[in-house]
Amino acid sequence: MEIHVDKDACVGCGLCVKDCPMHVYELQDNVSVAVRPNNCMGCLSCHEICPAQALEHRGIYAARRHYIDIKVCEMLRKVV
Amino acid sequence: MSAGYIDELHEAFHSDLVYRSEEIPLECSPRPKEMEQTLHGVMKLNGLVIRSLEEIAGRGANAVTYRAGKKFGHEVAKYFQKREDVEGALHELSDLLRGQYSFEVWKPEDKETFIIEENGETFIYLVFHDCIVRQTLRRNGLDQGGPLCQTLFGYVVGAIEEITGRKAKLEIVHTGPNACLKKLVLK
Ligand code: SF4
Ligand code: SF4
Repeated sequence: MEIHVDKDACVGCGLCVKDCPMHVYELQDNVSVAVRPNNCMGCLSCHEICPAQALEHRGIYAARRHYIDIKVCEMLRKVV
Repeated sequence: MSAGYIDELHEAFHSDLVYRSEEIPLECSPRPKEMEQTLHGVMKLNGLVIRSLEEIAGRGANAVTYRAGKKFGHEVAKYFQKREDVEGALHELSDLLRGQYSFEVWKPEDKETFIIEENGETFIYLVFHDCIVRQTLRRNGLDQGGPLCQTLFGYVVGAIEEITGRKAKLEIVHTGPNACLKKLVLK
């Protein structure tokens, strides 16, 4: 697993550090750094919690996703 | 109700199809793509049942759904090959869950083996990737780890117990939007 933190986007809030159950991240000079990427099991909780959308995981298994709201997506498709 | 509306309804449900009792359908209908609305309907219904159960039974809801899942796990796994080794049992389990749930065994990098011994406990970490329960909960804005997760929990425990003939316990370590980490404790 490769984890990239966009250093320019990260606001150093430390939420990913607290939330990751595998202690993958550490704050260094107010920026999150993935110090134990091999411990990541791909839950993507960190993506959900990061307010800056600063995280990127490569080589992850994306679980099947059925929980989109069809009506909302149809509306979005019209707009986007 | 207007006559036009009634006629429209009749029109929608009328066909010239001849249906014979001996003609057993060999495929689902409609095609999976067209089932999306149905799937969402089922997920919403499940969410509603679970929400109501939680409201009525409170914390007891978890015990009810866990027990129901466990019973079902025992029932279903009865017809599977009995295996004493955990690896074989997990193989059987993934066949059993195919299409609805997928999981892999996992270990943190500081552990040598997948079967971990710690504080007098022997356990295996399982990462659940695809999970219809997670989809249902998120579809309904419900928290993960509650009664619907307990059904799956019970199901896995029941199936493992049935396949191996040993007592087992499953613990939630973490729930996430893309995967959940569980600990299968072997007794
Ligand atoms: S995906 Fe999960 S395990 Fe991996 S870094 Fe993010 S929170 Fe941690
Ligand atoms: S949650 Fe996002 S913004 Fe906050 S420290 Fe982590 S990467 Fe940076």
